[in-house]
Amino acid sequence: MALRELKVCLLGDTGVGKSSIVWRFVEDSFDPNINPTIGASFMTKTVQYQNELHKFLIWDTAGQERFRALAPMYYRGSAAAIIVYDITKEETFSTLKNWVKELRQHGPPNIVVAIAGNKCDLNDAREVMEKDAKDYADSIHAIFVETSAKNAININELFIEISRRIPSTDTNPPASGKGFKLRRQPSATKRSCC
Amino acid sequence: MSLRKRDEGDGVGGNVRLAGSPEAAEERAPGRCLPLLPWDRFSAWLHCVCVVGFDLELGQAVEVLYPQHAKLTDKEKTNICYLSFPDSNSGCLGDTQFCFRFRQSSSRKLSWHCLLDQFDRDLPIYLKKDPAYYYGYVYFRQVQDKTLKRGYFQKSLVLVSKLPYIHFFHIVLGHIAPEYFEKNEPFLEAACSDIDRWPSPVPGKTLHLPIMGIVIKVRIPTCHDKPGTTEVLQTAHQPATQISITLPTVHEVDLFRCFSPVFFHIQMLWELVLLGEPLVVMAPSPSESSETVLALVSCISPLKYYSDFRPYFTIHDSEFKEYTTRTQAPPSVILGVTNPFFAKTLQHWPHIIRIGDIKLSGEVPKQVKVKKLKNLKTLDSKPGVYTSYKPYLNRDEEIIKQLQKGIQQKRPAEAQSIILRRSFLELTQSFIIPLERYVASLMPLQKSISPWKSPPQLKPFNQEEFMKTLEKAGPQLTSRLKGDWIGLYRHFLKSPNFDGWFRTRRKEMTQKLEALHLEALCNEDLLFWSQKHTEVETVDLVLKLKDKLADGENLPVKPGTMEKLQLHIDSIILALPEDLQGILIKTGKM
Repeated sequence: MALRELKVCLLGDTGVGKSSIVWRFVEDSFDPNINPTIGASFMTKTVQYQNELHKFLIWDTAGQERFRALAPMYYRGSAAAIIVYDITKEETFSTLKNWVKELRQHGPPNIVVAIAGNKCDLNDAREVMEKDAKDYADSIHAIFVETSAKNAININELFIEISRRIPSTDTNPPASGKGFKLRRQPSATKRSCC
Repeated sequence: MSLRKRDEGDGVGGNVRLAGSPEAAEERAPGRCLPLLPWDRFSAWLHCVCVVGFDLELGQAVEVLYPQHAKLTDKEKTNICYLSFPDSNSGCLGDTQFCFRFRQSSSRKLSWHCLLDQFDRDLPIYLKKDPAYYYGYVYFRQVQDKTLKRGYFQKSLVLVSKLPYIHFFHIVLGHIAPEYFEKNEPFLEAACSDIDRWPSPVPGKTLHLPIMGIVIKVRIPTCHDKPGTTEVLQTAHQPATQISITLPTVHEVDLFRCFSPVFFHIQMLWELVLLGEPLVVMAPSPSESSETVLALVSCISPLKYYSDFRPYFTIHDSEFKEYTTRTQAPPSVILGVTNPFFAKTLQHWPHIIRIGDIKLSGEVPKQVKVKKLKNLKTLDSKPGVYTSYKPYLNRDEEIIKQLQKGIQQKRPAEAQSIILRRSFLELTQSFIIPLERYVASLMPLQKSISPWKSPPQLKPFNQEEFMKTLEKAGPQLTSRLKGDWIGLYRHFLKSPNFDGWFRTRRKEMTQKLEALHLEALCNEDLLFWSQKHTEVETVDLVLKLKDKLADGENLPVKPGTMEKLQLHIDSIILALPEDLQGILIKTGKM
């Protein structure tokens, strides 16, 4: 079975739960008191997808502003980017849109983008409507899920969907339209969620 | 999720990390070591990271130091400052990478020493740490910058480490330094935090080392690898370098490229290095001087070069006086220098290699004669080897032809280097095998080992006896090279490299004898013995056995021996009167 190394980066505002998502996916555990990441932390997990093994090389970047300038090192060469926001904090969703813009300008051309609205267990404190986020994700052809790293909701599904969207190495590339084609969607940001 | 604001002054010293990250969990320090603390993993790889800049008033100065608690004496700092910048007006515009080595100014405790020493044991001898020296790996950038008073941006990022993994650190610096110069502080903090999550540098294991968005895959050689075979890591397909890099070696230099300016003299240089002759490399830049010195030192591998060597040496070095004094003969060292001043200072040195610009590829070097020392006056002298040394061995024309043919056929430099390395290896092995064989004969016979006497002594090394063995079992068995091998051996036996090699062998063999003795002792019925002896003698035996138990950890004993020894001790103690039992169980325990 072929093993493919797939670089994946997580982007998003500080405190939205990027590390917790990775932690849940890799270790299937949750720690409510983890420290902010320095630069980025790195973990790997190998999953089977059809007749391939996908080894995810996951770069979980720091959300803090002072590390902002380092992001290109992590999304450079990435097959997928997971942009995370916190459904209970409106401003984290605006940050997400800036990340989409940055990826469009400087990211790899065929990067698969996934949007994760984390902390969906805190529905009472919700500030971002699921429909708004979903519409936005659709407009940029991104994967969209609401997740809870705490309650293990949609975490594996998120990565399975990434595996599905990543072009296979077969000589015949899959039908277009599944990939994320930021550059051909100049009108994508017209829609606003607020 | 709780977020703690970190105060600005904290820098990387705070080292916040995911509590119980998976790597930390998967690999615990061995029993007698303390649990891992922040920076422990980092210090298994690096002593510290420095940024050296140029201050208009102070000159070179350490601007940044990670970790902030890293200890460097003032002398060490001064050395790092001078050694991190080009010494002369050699230009070096743009980016330059090189390496230096400096003396540790005080014997300080390594916080991580217990684990490091354990790794050290499995390393090939030439990759073992030298407790007295550090390596400095430098990425120097010099570009015009009109906004600065000096008119130039001049800065070095320096990795200070005990590990001689030249190629590996070259790649790491090449990846992180250019980005650092663009992004400054938070970048270095992030990079150090990555390194602090690296697995330990265990020999023989494939290590995946994530750093700033890429994963570097390396394998550190072990002393059990067959010499000359590089266990190249295999990958099904090489993914883009933005994802991961697989290094074929951690320590090897590009031998062919480094030696190309002195191509016709390589065999003579091998002799000079083998004999530990004072050797200076005068090069136009630190990168050429350091590469050439490292190539020289490695050409006698798997023998270790035991004298001091300085890939890049400056007039400010704290050992400058010691090494350049004319009051005594030049020391057994290899120095790499760039400052024209050395042409005068080291004029009295017996062997001088002068390097022009190293050609990147292609050009066939022309046949050149060894130059007379008196012709070396100034820095403008022509490239070449200046010496009055007459090689003991005839030149290996075959390897020269083979490499020349390779140049004509545009054989890749890596392949040329492999050919050259193999030829050096064969030469070194042909030379060393008779010595190995003779030294092995100094081992006492197995039957002379008695459990009730001290381990027998090794027979002394007798030069004439050794020379006699050469008639029948000399290097002529494995090497087609003719020449004065006997003369070469006689000279070698007086050299620091022989001294170091023999001391190492003697230590290994003495340990082997002790191990055999211990095994013999464990095969005796010690309880039966003690019952036939007085109580005092039995107590004495128990105390001796306990000593052996404590020392035995470093002995190459058969598996199970130490457990056997423990059982013997326990059963003898149990057979003693109770009051004595209590005392003996306590003694020797922490």
